[in-house]
Amino acid sequence: MRFATDTGGTFTDLIIEDDDGSISMFKAATVPHQPVKGVLAAFDIAAAELKTDSRTLLGRGSAFIHGTTHAINAIVTKRTAKTALLVTKGHPDILVLREGGRLEPFNHQVPYPEPYISRSLTFEIPERILASGEVRHALDDDAVGVIADQLRELKIEAIAVCLLWSVLHPSHERRVGEILRDRLPGIPITLSHELNPSLREYRRAIATAIDASLKPLMGRYFAGLTQSMREAGFNGRVLVLTSQGGMVDVEEVERAPILAINSGPSMAPIAGLRVMAAESEHHDAIVFDTGGTTFDVSLVRNGHVPFTHETWLGRPFQSDLTGFPSVDVRSIGAGGGSIASVEHGKILRVGPRSAGAVPGPACYGTGGNNATVTDAALALGYIDPKFFLGGRIKLDHGAAVEAIQRDVAGPLGMSLERAASAVMEVWTENMVQAITDITVNQGIDPAEGTIVGGGGAAGLNGAAIAARLGCRTLVVPEIGAALSAYGAVVSDIAREYRQIFVANTARFDAKGVRQVIESLRRQAAVFSHAAAAAEGAAHTEFLIEARYPHQVWEIDLPIDPERLLAPDGVAQLEQDFHRTHENIFAFSDPDSAVEVIAWRVAVRCPAGGHTELKLTRFDSELISTRRRAYFPNDGWVEVPVVRFERLAFDDWRVGPAIIESPFSSIVIDRAATFSRTESGNLVVRPAGTRDSSTERQRARA
Amino acid sequence: MAETTLDGAELAILINRFEGIARKMTNTLYRTGRSGVLNRARDFSCCIVTHDCQLLATADSLPIHVLVGPDMMARAMKEFHPQLKRGDAFLHNSPYHGNSHAADHTILVPVIDDDGVHRYTVLTKAHQADCGNALPTTYMGAAADVYAEGALIFPAVKVQENYKDIADIVRMCELRIRVPDQWKGDFLAMVGSARIGERETLELGREIGWEKLTAFAAQWFDHCEEQMAARIAEVPGGRVIGSSTHDPIPGTPEDGIRVVAAVDSKPKEGRIVVDLRDNVDALPCGLNLTEACARTASLIGVFNSIGGNIPRNAGSFRRVEVLLRTGSVAGIPEHPTSCSVSTTNLADRVTHAVSLAMAELGDGYGMAECGGCLPPSSSVISGIDPRTGERFVNQLFLGSTAGPATPYGDCWLTYLHIGNGGMCFIDSVELDELYQPIWVSERRLLPDTEGAGRHRGASSLLVEFGPVGCSVEVGYVSDGSVNAARGARGGGLGGPADHRRRKRDGGIEVLSNCAQVKLADGETILSVCCGGGGYGSPDERDPHRVINDVVEGRISRERAREIYKVVIGLDGQYDESATSALRSRV
Repeated sequence: MRFATDTGGTFTDLIIEDDDGSISMFKAATVPHQPVKGVLAAFDIAAAELKTDSRTLLGRGSAFIHGTTHAINAIVTKRTAKTALLVTKGHPDILVLREGGRLEPFNHQVPYPEPYISRSLTFEIPERILASGEVRHALDDDAVGVIADQLRELKIEAIAVCLLWSVLHPSHERRVGEILRDRLPGIPITLSHELNPSLREYRRAIATAIDASLKPLMGRYFAGLTQSMREAGFNGRVLVLTSQGGMVDVEEVERAPILAINSGPSMAPIAGLRVMAAESEHHDAIVFDTGGTTFDVSLVRNGHVPFTHETWLGRPFQSDLTGFPSVDVRSIGAGGGSIASVEHGKILRVGPRSAGAVPGPACYGTGGNNATVTDAALALGYIDPKFFLGGRIKLDHGAAVEAIQRDVAGPLGMSLERAASAVMEVWTENMVQAITDITVNQGIDPAEGTIVGGGGAAGLNGAAIAARLGCRTLVVPEIGAALSAYGAVVSDIAREYRQIFVANTARFDAKGVRQVIESLRRQAAVFSHAAAAAEGAAHTEFLIEARYPHQVWEIDLPIDPERLLAPDGVAQLEQDFHRTHENIFAFSDPDSAVEVIAWRVAVRCPAGGHTELKLTRFDSELISTRRRAYFPNDGWVEVPVVRFERLAFDDWRVGPAIIESPFSSIVIDRAATFSRTESGNLVVRPAGTRDSSTERQRARA
Repeated sequence: MAETTLDGAELAILINRFEGIARKMTNTLYRTGRSGVLNRARDFSCCIVTHDCQLLATADSLPIHVLVGPDMMARAMKEFHPQLKRGDAFLHNSPYHGNSHAADHTILVPVIDDDGVHRYTVLTKAHQADCGNALPTTYMGAAADVYAEGALIFPAVKVQENYKDIADIVRMCELRIRVPDQWKGDFLAMVGSARIGERETLELGREIGWEKLTAFAAQWFDHCEEQMAARIAEVPGGRVIGSSTHDPIPGTPEDGIRVVAAVDSKPKEGRIVVDLRDNVDALPCGLNLTEACARTASLIGVFNSIGGNIPRNAGSFRRVEVLLRTGSVAGIPEHPTSCSVSTTNLADRVTHAVSLAMAELGDGYGMAECGGCLPPSSSVISGIDPRTGERFVNQLFLGSTAGPATPYGDCWLTYLHIGNGGMCFIDSVELDELYQPIWVSERRLLPDTEGAGRHRGASSLLVEFGPVGCSVEVGYVSDGSVNAARGARGGGLGGPADHRRRKRDGGIEVLSNCAQVKLADGETILSVCCGGGGYGSPDERDPHRVINDVVEGRISRERAREIYKVVIGLDGQYDESATSALRSRV
């Protein structure tokens, strides 16, 4: 039996995978300052449902997979360690200057961000290596010693070292590390070339700084977590989810705690990949997860989950990058709690402000007064006030109507229904724009992909999003309400390694490339050995980051190293690149050579999960009914309300309908068709897309 | 035809859709450009104008590129090519027909609906690494006229028909522009970006209906105009005059160019008039403004001064009148006046004159001066790369701070210059050392160079760099070594710009502020950019913020005491009573 938990802002999700491949899903309230409590509370709920006690349940577990927001919370609330940054002499302002750039050039109320590590804790090391490897200034060991003494005086708790060009020429950085370890035993140190081998000193420095600053805290956190789990009766292996879309042993993430940032959301596309494989012939997917506060979007491209080097800690340009390659997930403030308001007496705005769980939407009756998306959905009849979260929260329909009337309908001079629909439409458009941004950057045409919707609020407008994007297929997984935890269950023990090595196809250095590939292979082997993967079970996959000469933004391209190094391999690589560039950016430059900048290996070791998973449900009431709901094109109509698990397999039906489960409500309009598939997921074909008419005919027949 | 009225949700959604298209164009170009100016510094802009050439959506474009200009360029395109067809694309860089300056190449694509009707024009404008000037720089500060500049000028010239390149034009560029492959790569990327804008706008029109979109634009403009009028109604009224002086360079009067802006604030009418007519005649140098830049710089000054983050489009612009004079240095240039450096130096001075004038209207309005530009850290660098034997030309963006203090708070540090609003990116030292045969020995903020004030301006940034294994040419036109950034409402001066050569023997040579410098191997150039001016009196600054500035090394203890009247005790702690005593004496 394996357990997967994802601690979110509002709920802690728990998925239990039993030895026969059946899985069950539970939710408990998150306990912000003691996340372990929320996790154990989820086990209590599970134990009650499974008619056992927590200790017995935990005792049956072989693995506990854990996703956490602890790292990012510590950064946001500035509770990280007192950290010093050591840089090349002459360059003390790397974290102050960042990479420039700004949002909203006329909004002077946004302050310039403070550096992640204060200038007063930044120290300059006398040394300089040039791009070629030439040592312009030798490293001054004594000066490093003097700085080490200062760090001791200052009671520094962690140290980040990032010297220019250390990524290609690490000798100075290594030596600084040795001196510091010698002089300051026990103080955690992160060296930039080891953690984040990438060009651009700011990105390396910020990743190194974040990582070092998390080490003391995350060490304590994981130790406490492991101990609490042990005390509660768990004796299996503790694994932690990473921002790279896999999981690693707790020791691995203690060595590089930056891996834990964004670890929950990065699992959504892993889940999406699995769901898509079952439901669609497409190779691309858009995966979204609509929670109470945020809306997260991620992608599957060509069967792979694309990475980005541009993950921001907060708003772009108003915060810092993590600088660390991770699964590309964009978050915007467009959750179900998004607040609707009218600006300048005319323009409807939805989000990014959220009522969150506290004070909550008006209909929660927990002190919130603002009109939110949830209130609009309730006013339109999309949500059953008596069945929200399976009936655990009773919603106040009157309060929702009053808030929408006061905040939206009144100011805009509209009917209540039109106002509530307008809130849904603007909300949908905000999401569509966020999806467009990520698909443009990753080169995906939404019309050619599947869209997978997860999160409690996903069903409210998932079909509308799909229709707006021209997506032919929306899949709402049965397990969608705990998408990230599900991603954890189906994911592997995995890491990515990366090396910088510039290779131009016009003068291809096959020998150098072979060396890089061998070196990456070795790193992968060490990892899979440490992960105790069975012989031959580890799967490695190579990718390159390539571009046309003089471009600076690379495209990821999977490669087969053997084929690349075979005759004609380089010409083949060029062709693959031109085609991919054309796909992503609508043009290519076939006369141009291609430059490979970085080489990556992804190593994945199976984590012992089942290939066939079946959801077990514990719902007591399974009654299908009808109720009135409002659709913009049809007005108020009486629609069938169907419980998700009551839907027959492969039985195509035409909207309108509302599909309900304890954690979600899926709204389907008149023009769309839908069916539940044998994998248990709901598939919706929006109107006006290519496949829908066929399905319509089948549904009518 | 019945007038369609859109509601608040439809307005919100459609502006979001148009902005989304401009953003998609922007993202595409950013990812695909070849020159550092595009892909490292993001010195480009994408926008959409209506069929009747009104600015509709600009995404996050550089302000100086787009507020006024795209409208004029679209008009020139329509005038020169009355029969627009789908598949056409035009290259436009003429300073006399609405473009900002010759180095900004603009691709215009008319969006033609399925019935052959011209509906919108999408534009992609990008600063080129080279535009075929007489010298390897895109800023010909000392050029006496457009002939001395030497750039090829394209007044809305057709470069694509039926989606195919007109190869004659491309070949002309390839023969005149240094590093032709890089230019061609940028050209392909720009056309790609504009075509994406065209495709998306066509899809939007088919989905929503063209008439409804037209009705939308009219209502959106009216709404933004109302917002602007309401904002201006809150600004104190009166006529104020501001000035700002550009340092002398070859071709200017000995004491530089003093730009004067008279601003009439008419809150009752909800209108502001900026009058730039009282300025000297065009000069035999590259600093003269294009009409687009003169208008845009004035608008930037107004929008910066009134706050409120009001949408910038043809609607809100109706409430600001900019008066220009033909033949003026800050007005409407006549051929062959050179406007090579139009987007930065003198344009910034216009914005400063407007902002300082408006600061006089009352506390809470206007802004300090941003630092002048562009120092050698933003120079165009060229030479032969000894590692490949190939020629290179590119603009460096090694960083320029210069940010002004505002009524709302301290500066945005990495502003570069007022016209781009802090949007430009800063090069990574490692990337610059990889792409050019140079090394950057130092890049740091200099203490005590901030414009002091209740809110402080940016500190100056020192950047020192030089060639590795070769010689390089470094071209720049730097403003602000004589006329440092002034504060507003009692705020202090930012540090001045400075440029020097460090010779092989360690000796230092002071360099001119407008120069094409040849650096030998072993030499370096020291570039100091301007600090930004302060806003409000420094002795009103929150003492805790002053202490923090001391701790962070931005200001010295002495300056804290002398200028900010904040006393730090021997123990390094804030001495509140001594501070109160000192401040009460002022």
